[in-house]
Amino acid sequence: MRTLFYILSFVIVANSCQKVIDVDLNESNSKVVIEANYSSEDSTVRLRLSLTSSYFEPSSASELNSATVSILDGNGTATFLSNIGNGEYILTNYVPTYNSIYRMNVVYNGVTYSASSELPSPVQLQPITYEFTTGFFGSGEGYFCYQNYDDPIGSENFYISVISKNGFEKNKVNDFILGDDRLTDGNTVSRPLFIDSLFALGDTASIEFRSISEDVFYYYDEIQSIAGGGQSAAPANPLKIWDNDALGYFSAYSNSRQTVIIQ
Amino acid sequence: MKYGIAFIFFLFAFISNSQKYTISGTVKDASNGEDLFGAVIKIKELSNVGTVTNAYGFYSLTLDSGEYTLLYRSTGFQTQEVKIHLINDFSKDIELSLPSDVQQIEEMKVNAEKENDNITSSGMNVTKFDPKSIETIPVLFGEKDIMKTLQLTPGVKTAGEGNSGFFVRGGGADQNLILLDEAPVYNASHLLGFFSVFNSDAIKDVSLYKSGIPAEYGGRASSVVDVKMRDGNNKKFGASGGLGLISSRLTLEAPIVKNKGSFIVSGRRSYADLFLKLSNNEDLKDVQLFFYDLNAKANYRISKKDRIFLSGYFGRDKFKLGENFGFSWGNATGTLRWNHLINDKFFSNTTIVRSTFDYEFSIGNGDDAFGIRSSIKDWNVKQDFSYFLNSNNTLKFGVSAIHHTFRPGSLTGSNESFNELILSSRYALELGAYIQNEMKIGARFNVMYGLRYSGFNYMGEGTDYQFDTNGNETGSREYSSWESIKYYQGLEPRLSASYIISEKNSIKASYNRNYQYIHQLSNSTTSSPTDNWVPSSSNVKPQIADQVALGYYQNLKKNMYRVSGEIYYKSLANQIDYRNGAELILNNQVEGDLVFGKGRAYGFEFLLEKKKGKFTGWLSYTLSRSLRTFADINEGKEFSARQDRIHDIAIVMMYKINKSLAISGTWIYYTGDAITFPSGKYEINGTFIPYYTERNGYRMPDYHRMDIGLTWYLKDKKKFEHNLNISIYNLYARENAFTITFEEDPDDSSKTQAVQTTLFKLIPSITYNFKLK
Repeated sequence: MRTLFYILSFVIVANSCQKVIDVDLNESNSKVVIEANYSSEDSTVRLRLSLTSSYFEPSSASELNSATVSILDGNGTATFLSNIGNGEYILTNYVPTYNSIYRMNVVYNGVTYSASSELPSPVQLQPITYEFTTGFFGSGEGYFCYQNYDDPIGSENFYISVISKNGFEKNKVNDFILGDDRLTDGNTVSRPLFIDSLFALGDTASIEFRSISEDVFYYYDEIQSIAGGGQSAAPANPLKIWDNDALGYFSAYSNSRQTVIIQ
Repeated sequence: MKYGIAFIFFLFAFISNSQKYTISGTVKDASNGEDLFGAVIKIKELSNVGTVTNAYGFYSLTLDSGEYTLLYRSTGFQTQEVKIHLINDFSKDIELSLPSDVQQIEEMKVNAEKENDNITSSGMNVTKFDPKSIETIPVLFGEKDIMKTLQLTPGVKTAGEGNSGFFVRGGGADQNLILLDEAPVYNASHLLGFFSVFNSDAIKDVSLYKSGIPAEYGGRASSVVDVKMRDGNNKKFGASGGLGLISSRLTLEAPIVKNKGSFIVSGRRSYADLFLKLSNNEDLKDVQLFFYDLNAKANYRISKKDRIFLSGYFGRDKFKLGENFGFSWGNATGTLRWNHLINDKFFSNTTIVRSTFDYEFSIGNGDDAFGIRSSIKDWNVKQDFSYFLNSNNTLKFGVSAIHHTFRPGSLTGSNESFNELILSSRYALELGAYIQNEMKIGARFNVMYGLRYSGFNYMGEGTDYQFDTNGNETGSREYSSWESIKYYQGLEPRLSASYIISEKNSIKASYNRNYQYIHQLSNSTTSSPTDNWVPSSSNVKPQIADQVALGYYQNLKKNMYRVSGEIYYKSLANQIDYRNGAELILNNQVEGDLVFGKGRAYGFEFLLEKKKGKFTGWLSYTLSRSLRTFADINEGKEFSARQDRIHDIAIVMMYKINKSLAISGTWIYYTGDAITFPSGKYEINGTFIPYYTERNGYRMPDYHRMDIGLTWYLKDKKKFEHNLNISIYNLYARENAFTITFEEDPDDSSKTQAVQTTLFKLIPSITYNFKLK
């Protein structure tokens, strides 16, 4: 639904003028930012620890390699992640158990930050179908893809779809396509997906279809609206997934993939 | 015998002392038979005795028997003097004429020195506009626009370029009751705020109440804008209209039966999309963007005591992008009224109103098409009485009932992916009963006091949800049709008083309490027609406003200048705001995403007007604050509302160069809106995300612009008069900020920048206007 507003504002914006301006912003104290992903596909847990920086300055590299990071499974058994530099921590060969709740702890500068996420079962993506269009919004002609799947009935499902074009993954926050089953529970869904460009004949289109937890869905929803520059009624920091005032998220997710060559 | 004579004397005394008679009737415009609302009737021989005509031109004055000279006055018309010998009740209908020649204009000017009715009348804080007086004000795209002109007066702030709505004394955009012939209009803007839905050719009177709101009005917290349509010329056929670059309009009016009934039809259509077709941009050629509106009214005098009116408004905005995307919205209202004179002191008005507002998105074409629709529909029945008790007391009382149907959203269509989702409709009954007296005490003191009872029954058929403090649903309950889910009620005292210090100055004070039972949810720093209206319910309480105001008014230099200063304080309870990430569209449980708090607004308003001479105009300055406190926002600390514009200035000047040329200019300036900007940033998935600290802690850049207009009165033709109006919006092309967004620098992804979008720079327009004589 947000796209509807973007379309309207696009037309208005296209005919108006824009310029970069100077804005005087207050500086806030640095806050801890933790991004954590546990992908069941490669059984790997990845965590990145960083700090907020002043808005107009280029972000400064932070030495956040001295934290202790661990993940706990549904039984409470903890396994530690190793630091690989640049504030990144990793754990491989961590066998997933679907539908159990994982918890992560980060101890940094004497403060313990923790968050939890349920790992949903994967939902299978069916083969991608695609359609030709003469183009809209000035993009010229080309193809766009439909994502096909059967939504499991009765459970609340939340998804992120990541599209790749010719091997290049569109994985910036605003490229993620969010989905839920509020209107489609139990249905066979065929949903058109749009990225910044259309596909041409001969292109390879891939979709990674992630099943994520509800918290992470709302987190990305809020992040996408503020990453757009702050046009919502209440531009504010997204819901807190980590405690102790840390920003960021922890997402344990499963996925399925499909690839097609446009012919 | 002694007793007999004493008894006869007693009888005479009794009879002569209580021998009062009533003179009543209507005051109309002699040229077209339109009722004159607010015409003043004064008695030359008695000071501070007189009355004012009501919205239907009716007046009633009860005096001791005797000889009097009655003066009938209305701005722009020649005063009429009528000598009467009051020995029984009688009715006197008056028609006032416009000055027909220079000599009469001069005479009017002399008599106008006595036109200090703004000082001596008790009506508090009514800003009144008659379309004649705003003829030369330049507004966007050359159209005379009453709503835009109201925004040039103190205390009324525009919601900003590209936004619909306005703010009065720090209140929200949904806190203004906009009535068109007694029908509420839910969205009073076309084209995202550039045009209001009121076609000035069809309008007779606009009254704005910012404080001391009379008890007959209820339902909104901050103001009432009461717009009355013209009835139509009941003497001869009339036509007028205009042809312009962006829009055109036509009005036709004629008698149904001469002097007894008439009708008026007024239509307007814009065609901004014609210009987009000329654009080089391929996408814009595919855009359809236009609005149209139609006002129609008929009235008929059935008998000497009865008159009926039927009026309607229908307007729509349409935006379409190619074949795949469409968006439209509009209001439709219909009003049926019956005026009945019970006796010459007792006036009754019965009204039935139907009012709807809806918006609609349509996406896709053919098999994949789907649409989202949302609407609010009202049925309203009102009965109002005015009882002109005596020359010192005018009583008004009445009742009103409104049945609201809210359809917050339905998703329908043939696209198989989506389940058809129809959000449950919600129903409510809004009730009101009021009584009010306008009283004169002695020669200097006027007071209006009244009480309004209001009630709101939120009822089924429907589901009521309960939520915890985090907005998660904890339960629900089903209700059947007309079963009460929640009933709210309140008493709203309304008081205003004025004290006439001399015939040149006065002071006025007022207090009012207003309940508001329906609310508009706005999910943006900009307000749009898709902002849903929702009823109060078990989770949402009615908004309550309490306002006190004090004003001082002075006329200078024989009424050439008017100066006034007003201060006010308003406290608002049960204000609504949103949780982070609130989903306001197609959400059955939207109430879980709302948070509640309170607000306060206070300020000082200054107005200096020059009413006479070749050069007229006004300067309006408002210094004010509008603040909110919510436990869930800004950590419970008080923050500025978006409309907390500390300074707001409007300068309006009109100059009549000569008989055929008039020039006018407007300059407005206001402090930028309060806005939330980031205080830092961090990276998520390689993208920079802004980090926010306080809510509305920053300001948009100050807004200012100048508009000018030139009206060239072309040589009168035999049958019609005409003029050409050239106006320029934003003369010095200031780039005012519509939005400021924070984005990645496209040249260097490790950096971020602030980007300002301006909607409109300099826009010229030409309109040709004509009017049959």
